[in-house]
Amino acid sequence: MVLRSGTEPQVQAQGLGSAKKGVHPWAAERLSAIALVPLMIWLVASMILLRGASYAAFLAWLRQPVSSWLMVLSLIAIFHHTALGLQVILEDYLHSALKVPAITTARLACFALCVAGILATIRIALMH
Amino acid sequence: MEPPAPGRYSTSQYDSNTALMLIRSSNQVSRARILRRFPVPRSLGVPTGSRIERGRRWPAPRGARRIKTFEIYRFEPSSGNNPRLDTFEVDLDACGPMVLDALIWIKNNLDSTLTFRRSCREGVCGSCAMTIDGTNWLACTRFISETLPTASIYPLAGMRVIKDLVPDLTHVLAQYTMIEPWLKAGGAPPQIERLQSVEERKRLDGYYECILCFCCTSACPSHWWNGERFLGPAVLLQAWRWLADSRDEARGERLDRLEDPFRLYRCHTILNCTRTCPKGLNPGKAIAEIKKLMLERTL
Amino acid sequence: MAEIIEFPRPKSPHLQNYRPQLTSVLSFANRVSGIALALAAVGLVAWLAAGASGAAAYGAFDSFLSSIIGRILLLVSTLALFFHLCGGIRHIAWDAVLGFELRSIYASGWAVIAATLLLTAATWIAAYLIRG
Repeated sequence: MVLRSGTEPQVQAQGLGSAKKGVHPWAAERLSAIALVPLMIWLVASMILLRGASYAAFLAWLRQPVSSWLMVLSLIAIFHHTALGLQVILEDYLHSALKVPAITTARLACFALCVAGILATIRIALMH
Repeated sequence: MEPPAPGRYSTSQYDSNTALMLIRSSNQVSRARILRRFPVPRSLGVPTGSRIERGRRWPAPRGARRIKTFEIYRFEPSSGNNPRLDTFEVDLDACGPMVLDALIWIKNNLDSTLTFRRSCREGVCGSCAMTIDGTNWLACTRFISETLPTASIYPLAGMRVIKDLVPDLTHVLAQYTMIEPWLKAGGAPPQIERLQSVEERKRLDGYYECILCFCCTSACPSHWWNGERFLGPAVLLQAWRWLADSRDEARGERLDRLEDPFRLYRCHTILNCTRTCPKGLNPGKAIAEIKKLMLERTL
Repeated sequence: MAEIIEFPRPKSPHLQNYRPQLTSVLSFANRVSGIALALAAVGLVAWLAAGASGAAAYGAFDSFLSSIIGRILLLVSTLALFFHLCGGIRHIAWDAVLGFELRSIYASGWAVIAATLLLTAATWIAAYLIRG
């Protein structure tokens, strides 16, 4: 790290001071992770059982109330966890002006994809 | 011979290649020849002024029989040249068993300009911390026999270099000062000592012994990428030492100062720190304790 | 007092020189698997969207998944999922301050690798046994 000329090391180490926040995203990432353990086991099991199934069988499976409920929960947990994780990765590696637009894009994309997935699930569930 | 009782250390004579698959203590060295480096170009992301050039060869004196080769990072600030890698041949019959002994022998017999920090020569002062064969350790407690056939010695990873093997610790020491590593107990000083039960004193074990060698901080990839703002394992371990001290009364203020996406939460539990600590301490665990305390105060 | 002359100080090598260890390698793999899963999540949404668009769209998606590229992507996604899942459980244990002795760190690390391979194999075998 380069000492900015004329800056005392103590002052530089202080930076802009403590943000006094940070527990919440960390805890949210862990909470979504804990939710994802059973949800992903369900998803993998469902994928195995759906192997080579017809379109009708797929619809029948997803239309079951439990399936559509778990799918919506999975989408929320997946994209919440992904958004938090991607933000951490981008904060780690980007230090230029690219950082904030990249994080914004990632978070908005996760939100948009989550809504798309939930809508698709609802449409399938309510389809005649 | 009985194997040593479980504890922080195992002596190197009990190491075997299979044992290294399941590391028990940080002083076990991997001597695997494959995957010694991440498969990235040596010049990846290295600014031109930091690129290491080939240096000169320093052969052992005539008559030396047991010769060991050391590749050592050199940098002479007033020369205007880039850092270079010199190759030294050391007469093992003429120097002691530790890497520091070899460095001192080189300085006395081959090149007196070789510069490094050293003091206690017994692993308690933390001066001679350096990157030996790609992992951080104290030169005075690393056996030459544990190093690779051609041992490589670099200054602590990811640090600015003042000269040869001497890293610039200004920034990490400023980060250390920032956590206010002293007892903060308000009011008038008591008439007797501030009492502490045996259990309370035990909570400091494994943390007060840190010698601030910064091997752990230098080994942390998060500190490589974000060292300007991330405090690093050494400083955070000491932050925990003061948070865990029952006599300290400034816990809330300390936690406020640490609660920051960069100062504390750049730690992703990579655990290179615990793997490399030459005193067998556990910075990763200390940081986890801080995070747990941080969570507890919100629930 | 003598003039202080500052020379730009080089940085010692880190990623270029530091030895890969189980600790750093598994951590990086956990991150890479997370990124892979982010891409797989896009695929999940695409699959649901195809399902909501009718039999034709779903059929096209299904035949893509049955192709060589599709199967490879599914295999990589399964590997990434189980690795990230087992690695994630290891991380949650650490967050509860469990398993921090070096012995446990290394044992759990190798266990994660073994569990990933076993679970992936079991999943793919089960999938082929059930539907062929």
